[in-house]
Amino acid sequence: MNVAIWLVRREFWENRAIWVIPAALSILLILASLFGGYQVVGAVDLATVRSVVEAGAFDGMIFISATFYLIMAIYSTWYLLDCLYADRKDRSILFWKSMPISDTATVVGKLGLGLIVMPLVYFVFADLTTLLMAFIISVRARTSIGSSLWRGDLWLQIQAMWLYLIVTSAVWFLPLSGWLLLVSAWAKRAVILWAILPPLALMLAERVFLGTYVVARLLGARIGGYLSHAFIYSAGPANWVTTQVGHESTIEAPVSVSRFFNAEYFFASPETWIGAAVGVVLIAGAVQLRMRRTEI
Amino acid sequence: MPPLIEARDLTKRYGKHVALDRATFTVETGRIVGLIGPNGAGKTSALRAVLGLTAYEGQLRVLGREPFRERAALMDEACFIADVAVLPSWLRVDNAIDFVAGVHPRFRRDRAQELLAKTQITGNRRMRELSKGMKTQVHLALTMAVDAKLLVLDEPTLGLDILSRSAFYDALVNDYMDATRTILITTHQVEEVENLLTDVLFIDKGRIVLASSLEDIATRYAAVAVAADALGAARAEKPFHERRMLGKVVLYFENPNLPALERLGEVHTPSVADLFVAKLSRGAE
Repeated sequence: MNVAIWLVRREFWENRAIWVIPAALSILLILASLFGGYQVVGAVDLATVRSVVEAGAFDGMIFISATFYLIMAIYSTWYLLDCLYADRKDRSILFWKSMPISDTATVVGKLGLGLIVMPLVYFVFADLTTLLMAFIISVRARTSIGSSLWRGDLWLQIQAMWLYLIVTSAVWFLPLSGWLLLVSAWAKRAVILWAILPPLALMLAERVFLGTYVVARLLGARIGGYLSHAFIYSAGPANWVTTQVGHESTIEAPVSVSRFFNAEYFFASPETWIGAAVGVVLIAGAVQLRMRRTEI
Repeated sequence: MPPLIEARDLTKRYGKHVALDRATFTVETGRIVGLIGPNGAGKTSALRAVLGLTAYEGQLRVLGREPFRERAALMDEACFIADVAVLPSWLRVDNAIDFVAGVHPRFRRDRAQELLAKTQITGNRRMRELSKGMKTQVHLALTMAVDAKLLVLDEPTLGLDILSRSAFYDALVNDYMDATRTILITTHQVEEVENLLTDVLFIDKGRIVLASSLEDIATRYAAVAVAADALGAARAEKPFHERRMLGKVVLYFENPNLPALERLGEVHTPSVADLFVAKLSRGAE
């Protein structure tokens, strides 16, 4: 446990972008809420304005969380692809290997950083940002609406969404993460090309020699299948963020996010666990390579 | 007590190239052993195997462990500096100390700080800001603060100026070495380590060609410088190597017939460097 904490700390020292990127995004959004202009169009009475703004605030929270999450996903992908390659490239692997830390701990530690710790960091930043923005916008809106816009129940839903997202996407994308780590432990150069070209070549070879698309379909199902497995897709997650102003100015209240969680289906799906098993095999491969490959 | 390092038929192949060819050697506790060989002789491969950094064939036991399978456990009791330029450039000196203190059960923080206090290096510096000599000091402080049984050094002074080199070896001998510790060191600059070694292992083409303590070298080997007219008589004693220098010829003998040699000229014990040249040139003849 102690070693795990130090392994995480060390990653924060090395990859300052882990917190610099979300911090910069937070500052940007807070500045926008401080100085940005806003107006409510088409409102008839004060109650309508309130509900429009509240619904808008919920859309905003979802939007901010999604932005944080997407940027995190991109950075995390890059991190997993680079982490085992970087210290071979600069030879610092020889220093890390002089420590009494097993290669399994090293690889699993980096995986945990990319899949759990990093999303949690972004989650905290997204949370602080939404809280601050809600406060700022409330204060600014007070002149026109008269009281605070805060709705705790919506905020709690965002918390639940983040945690559900972190857990399920870590499990679902484990095979892709494992592949990235494998490439990172193996490649002598051009990690990005090594990550992309072999699957592409496999798809092409299959197409040319067998005329089938099994690999492409499997990959597509993995990348595109997350939402349909983790969420109730028929309703469409897009429904979260559309607040409709219906006839005669009736407002449909923001829906409950947790209603769309499909945890039972997700954790019962064979696809989930077959993918996770493939991920574990790839990660074990990355550990073996890490034991054998010290330098480039 | 079994030897600290025991290698039998240690073999390492890279494709068709054989870097270690059934190397067999032992290292006992309390010794400073020089693993000496020309470039490409297999020194680094041998050390990598000892440290568990590479897979190998043959038998190898270090501190009773199998290095490749048990590297993490081995690193509790053994430490190494494989080239001093490997400290990550982004790491701060104080963070490096924090990290090692956090993960290494045998690390003594006060010892590291004491060693660093003797230098000009402050904790807030990053490795990339330090000169090579300073990095050496940091790495040495981190390593010497570990209460390890085995210290392995691979070309530790490569790329250092002469002052840093001598400071490095002084610190090693004066501040670190004691009867409970063992040091295995590789270098191709024999002269530099000659005075601190207790044992030598000569390695050539992946094989151990000589394993001896320095005391044994003094009894097993002799060199005698003779003038050209005495060359014939000297050759009769079957030298294994000859070297011409300044009008004289130095002849090297194994298990020498000392009374006979003393009649030819002044007999001396060859230096490790000379013996190295003599031993390895023989293979070339």
